[in-house]
Amino acid sequence: MEKVTGSNGDFAVTVRKKARYVDEDLCTGCGACAEKCPTTVPDEFNMGLGKRKAIYKYYTQGIPSTFCIDAVHCRTFQKGKKCGVCEKICQAKAIDYKQEDKILELKVGAIVLAVGYDLFDAAKLPEYGYGRITNVINALEFERLLSASGPTEGHVERLSDLRDHELIHSGEKKLKKATKTLGKYEKKHKKSSADFYKEFTAGNISDGDEFAKWAKQYESVQEATKKLEALKAKAEKFDVATRLAFIQCVGSRDFRFNKYCSSYCCMHSIKEAMIAKDHEARTDAYIFNMDLRTVGKGFEEYKVRGAEKTGLNYVRGRVAEITQDENENPIIWYEETTSQTPKSLTVDLAILAVACEAPKGIEKIAEMVGVELDHNRFFKTDPLNPLDTTVPGIFVCGCAQGPMDIPESVAQASSAASRAAEAVAGKA
Amino acid sequence: MSKDILVIGGGIAGMQASLDLADMGLQVHMVEKLPCIGGKMAQLDKTFPTNDCAM
Repeated sequence: MEKVTGSNGDFAVTVRKKARYVDEDLCTGCGACAEKCPTTVPDEFNMGLGKRKAIYKYYTQGIPSTFCIDAVHCRTFQKGKKCGVCEKICQAKAIDYKQEDKILELKVGAIVLAVGYDLFDAAKLPEYGYGRITNVINALEFERLLSASGPTEGHVERLSDLRDHELIHSGEKKLKKATKTLGKYEKKHKKSSADFYKEFTAGNISDGDEFAKWAKQYESVQEATKKLEALKAKAEKFDVATRLAFIQCVGSRDFRFNKYCSSYCCMHSIKEAMIAKDHEARTDAYIFNMDLRTVGKGFEEYKVRGAEKTGLNYVRGRVAEITQDENENPIIWYEETTSQTPKSLTVDLAILAVACEAPKGIEKIAEMVGVELDHNRFFKTDPLNPLDTTVPGIFVCGCAQGPMDIPESVAQASSAASRAAEAVAGKA
Repeated sequence: MSKDILVIGGGIAGMQASLDLADMGLQVHMVEKLPCIGGKMAQLDKTFPTNDCAM
């Protein structure tokens, strides 16, 4: 959205429809293009834990089921290289590199703001080590690990293990290439690299740049093989993460950041712990909280079920610091406030329940449509008219109004729809 | 004067509002910055308190 003018009942809105570089009417969503695309980039949908191609669908079940080209990473757009693989492979002839952004002018009677929220950046809290300690992750990342359609197909693995698997994969690829180069030398000089290296180090072969290069190549291959074997030996002992620590109120109920309660995190941590236990019965889950706020229909019962049936451990205490041991396992340092004793606990994964924050760019939208924000940067509303913004004809629903869970968002959305329909009722 | 309605955001709130408005017979324009609608909820595995699939 670029520009909004007019007032209640008569808004003129300018919208920029971004180019997909794929014709929506022709694309069948078969995915042959993504299969052959040579560029791989981290997948935003999986919180960067998985990979996607430069031509992609945001997620498998995504609607519209049309692929699009990420022009920031695509070779054809970026390096001026002749790639065009997707164009060649596409049977529907849907690829259109020349597609341009379209400017749409819309006349509308009412506007509903449902811009949602962003997650608090846990790296702002250095004591929890997010971004520094590999096995400290946020709740949405954990959600992707739990998902059967996620990067690990629902296996809860430590991020350090995923990284090591990736290193083994890329190491093997590099080694294969380097061994191939050695093979070229061997073929040329009709000698095995090991024999040559023995002679070379004995000083029998001294001159010649090529021999020096050969020796160096042999050395690096030996070293890489050793490293790879050590990594593989380590990887054999890898197991799914069974000791999980959930840390509540990361960035919320914190006077340094957001003073408000994000309202849904207690519930999603209990849920994630339950699902993890469903996936792997050996799981030991600890939820570190100041208090568990489970307000909502059936929520309190859910919390009790988590403790009594699933066997989750609710620990009262705010975590002071997270460090890591030599195996990259996070160590949680906390005070158990019920017994007033400082304690520590070593786990496989620490999951931070990060705050719900007003989305980046909300100021820009507010300025564009002319509505006010409250002191927490959410859209300002009146307690008695929770869906009305400060401008008549513009309504707000969901987390753009303040932190709330899914049932509440849905209820608000239906209400906002009614309010918007009311605003245009009886107009031409 | 127009009876059309603009919904900004294609997450669960935006989708629900749009569907309700369309069911009332109104023309809805939905604006979403990402290539697909669904928002954060699509990224969730299960939802509380029933542990139903989020998709």
